[in-house]
Amino acid sequence: MKKLIVSLALVSLFSICFANETYQTAMNQSIEKLFQVKSIPEYIEVANRFERISNIEKTEWLPLYYSAFAYVMISFQESENVKKDNYLDQAQKYLDRAMAIDPNESELHLLQGFLYPSRMTVDPMNRGMALMPEMNKSLDKALELNPDNPRVYYLRATMTFHTPQEYGGGASKALPLFLLAEEKFSIFKPKTAISPNWGKEMNESELKKVQETPKE
Amino acid sequence: MKIFIMFFSLQLMLSGAFAQVQISGKVTDQGKMPLSGANVFFHGTYDGATADSLGRFKFKTSLKGIQKLTASFIGYKPFQRKLNLDSLNSFILNIVLEESGEQIDEVVINAGAFEASDEKKAVILRMFDVATTPSAQGDIFGALGSLPGVQKVGEDGRVFVRGGEAYETKTYMDGMQVSTPFLSKMPDMPTRGRFSPLLFSGTLFSTGAYSAEYGQALSSIVDMKTNGVEMEEKSSISIMTVGVMGSTIKCWKNASLSLSGDYVTSGLSNTINKQQVDWIKSPFGVDGTVMYRLKTGKTGLYKFFGAFNNSSSGLNYPNTQTGINHDILANSGNVFLNNTWSSMIGEKWMMKSGVVLNYDRQKFDIDQDQMVTTKRMTQCKLDFHHFLNDQTELKLGGDWVNYAYEQNIRMGGNYSLPFTNNELSGFGEIEYKLTKKLATRFGARLENSTLLKETTLVPRFSGAYKTGNHSQVSLACGQFYQNPEDDYLKFAPRLNPEKASHAVMTWQYLTEQKTFRVEAYRKKYYNLVKYTKPLTTNPLDYSNTGNGHAEGIDFFWRDKETFKLTDYWISYSWINARRNYRDFPKAAIPTYLSEHNLSLVYKRFFEPLRTFASVTYSFASSRPYHDPNLSGFMNAKTTAYNDISLSLTYLMQIFGKQSVLHLMVNNLAGFDTVYGYNFSNTPDAAGHYESTPIKSPYVRQIIFLVSIML
Repeated sequence: MKKLIVSLALVSLFSICFANETYQTAMNQSIEKLFQVKSIPEYIEVANRFERISNIEKTEWLPLYYSAFAYVMISFQESENVKKDNYLDQAQKYLDRAMAIDPNESELHLLQGFLYPSRMTVDPMNRGMALMPEMNKSLDKALELNPDNPRVYYLRATMTFHTPQEYGGGASKALPLFLLAEEKFSIFKPKTAISPNWGKEMNESELKKVQETPKE
Repeated sequence: MKIFIMFFSLQLMLSGAFAQVQISGKVTDQGKMPLSGANVFFHGTYDGATADSLGRFKFKTSLKGIQKLTASFIGYKPFQRKLNLDSLNSFILNIVLEESGEQIDEVVINAGAFEASDEKKAVILRMFDVATTPSAQGDIFGALGSLPGVQKVGEDGRVFVRGGEAYETKTYMDGMQVSTPFLSKMPDMPTRGRFSPLLFSGTLFSTGAYSAEYGQALSSIVDMKTNGVEMEEKSSISIMTVGVMGSTIKCWKNASLSLSGDYVTSGLSNTINKQQVDWIKSPFGVDGTVMYRLKTGKTGLYKFFGAFNNSSSGLNYPNTQTGINHDILANSGNVFLNNTWSSMIGEKWMMKSGVVLNYDRQKFDIDQDQMVTTKRMTQCKLDFHHFLNDQTELKLGGDWVNYAYEQNIRMGGNYSLPFTNNELSGFGEIEYKLTKKLATRFGARLENSTLLKETTLVPRFSGAYKTGNHSQVSLACGQFYQNPEDDYLKFAPRLNPEKASHAVMTWQYLTEQKTFRVEAYRKKYYNLVKYTKPLTTNPLDYSNTGNGHAEGIDFFWRDKETFKLTDYWISYSWINARRNYRDFPKAAIPTYLSEHNLSLVYKRFFEPLRTFASVTYSFASSRPYHDPNLSGFMNAKTTAYNDISLSLTYLMQIFGKQSVLHLMVNNLAGFDTVYGYNFSNTPDAAGHYESTPIKSPYVRQIIFLVSIML
């Protein structure tokens, strides 16, 4: 009898480990896929995987984070404004749900700050004025929660690079910011194997572009 | 043995996992179009797949027993179905998803209304558009002039809608009345709105058949929505050829304070731009605005808006009627304080409340004579919105307005013309969406005036039906009352309210990039004020025996898509209207009315030049006037009105600060339009009535502005 209890306990322990491992494996596989895919249908496919994971792991913000991230990436590709807004609405929904799970996660605020510039591209003249402060607020919050989050530095640098010189932007202003971001990326260690760990390559390629921009 | 059992059961468990069931099929919408990207999965598991480009999906699952299959897709209602996985090895499903309301915009009641909003996705105008329309010269009311249904009345500057006089358009701010929205007006000269468009995040402009929430307006309402809590601290300073402006914003966690002020003087500008008016004192003004916003609780927002203005000007006015030249000096002061607080009460009720105070004093010195007019207005308003369910919204509200008018005239003796009115109003309105495509709104408004001793009750109705994804037809009608103008009430306080009825029908196609809209309307006026002769002081000379009508068609087309970095819109209005009011001997077309009005607004950003350019062309056909030298009434017509205005905005850096250079040219081509004529009251020796044309104070006006963000 005692042995039976022990073995039952073992089995249940095993199944818990198994389940947790399933989560890790599913996340690992999906994340790997997320950073390989290029086309919109492929991104949707990965976002759907994360959504399915999020439906079970109700206390994890990461699956929702990646779903939202996939839709933000989609929105940057989509050229039709109405569709773009729909994708961003979807991203915002996932992000809101993630935010409800962990409102003090730097990466979620960062992703929010990454979502706004895509919104702005729909109608730069009108939305720019309204969303710029919102974006800055999100990035400030992300930095406050984790002063070493390299993606905040990367986004700030990119925004500066793409802002006209007249508005305090331009390549020469962006260069030190990209270098700082590079430094932050080099020392960054993700909390877990499935925590956000993107942006290093993007930073490198943008940095290259900045360095190739002729001096004004 | 036991270990063996355990091992065996584990084996069984694992083998069970390998007995898989295959799920496949297709996901389509109701029109059988494949929904590529739909997520099909078993609820609460990782097992699932994404529909491919043909809507097909296929996956295997090791789940057992009864499981819930879910299919979801952006803009569609999720589909759920229970499957017993023990019964079969494979399932083929054809899933049809139903569109949720989010995908297609739901029907919106909009007959008669033009909405400029920065918050909604698809609207006709943004506040940025208002601020950058050159013919508007930075004035909200000026920008409304580029919309259909609005008459061009160059010598007035206020908003004349669909055959109505300027006073028939009422202005609101956050739902509260603004009793003096315009700066004081010199004779035959245009005025402009008091408030900068930059203070607002949206404007609702209705050219007819508006909601029962709005009363005391015969023709039109303009409801300006002030900015919410500011997110970013910033300051700016602007130097213009007509003065200086500055503003600063301070933010806290749940609150913000914005201050702005300006000193405007047109002395320099009047030297640069040739004037057709003999100024004895160049117009100057000092303005200040204070805005405080505070978030209260989760859903509450308190807004304070305070505006202060002092302005003066003086001119030598040749009064053709009397043949005497007058020196007119105008001096005015205005204080406007608006407090509003809105908040949800529970989940289904929203409360909106407000208190507004408006004080206005205008002093005119005409040679030795003087005329001082003061207006004090207090309004208290309380509204409740009840969201009964997804389809039904109920609005109830009441407001009380105390209005005290006093005019003191020193003209060979002292005269005082005061009156006070207390207006108590209530309204109720129910909006009901029968389906996603069909919405109706029924309302009624009750008003009681202590001065006029009149109680009125009027119905309002509107309905809209969605004819396609982006198109809809709307119908609206209603009755409207408005108290006679102060200039009549001060002599004859026992007049009755004037009355109008509107019927409006609209067809609209609206996407984020393109708008087409056509609206037909019919308006009738009753109880308009008539008098035997102008400025008569005898109350018995005034009566409510006037009437009138107006009908017309308005067209609006806007396109932001076809040409790169270019946005343009075209408004055209045709109107047929007659009125028998004031001292008209018979029904006639009033002097402010042009049969055809056309506006063309073109905006483009020139990227390499970093310049934003806007051009407007406005046309209005000839207007009637009465020439006493000819027989009949309203027997002559002016020439047509033409205007080309231009504005250029250049982005640059000054001392490392973001800066904007802005150049506005009004009436670029220098058309010297005559709006009408003033005639002498008495004929000369030859029996001829002398006349002078009414013209713009300048032919061409150039304003230059540098704005620096600090």
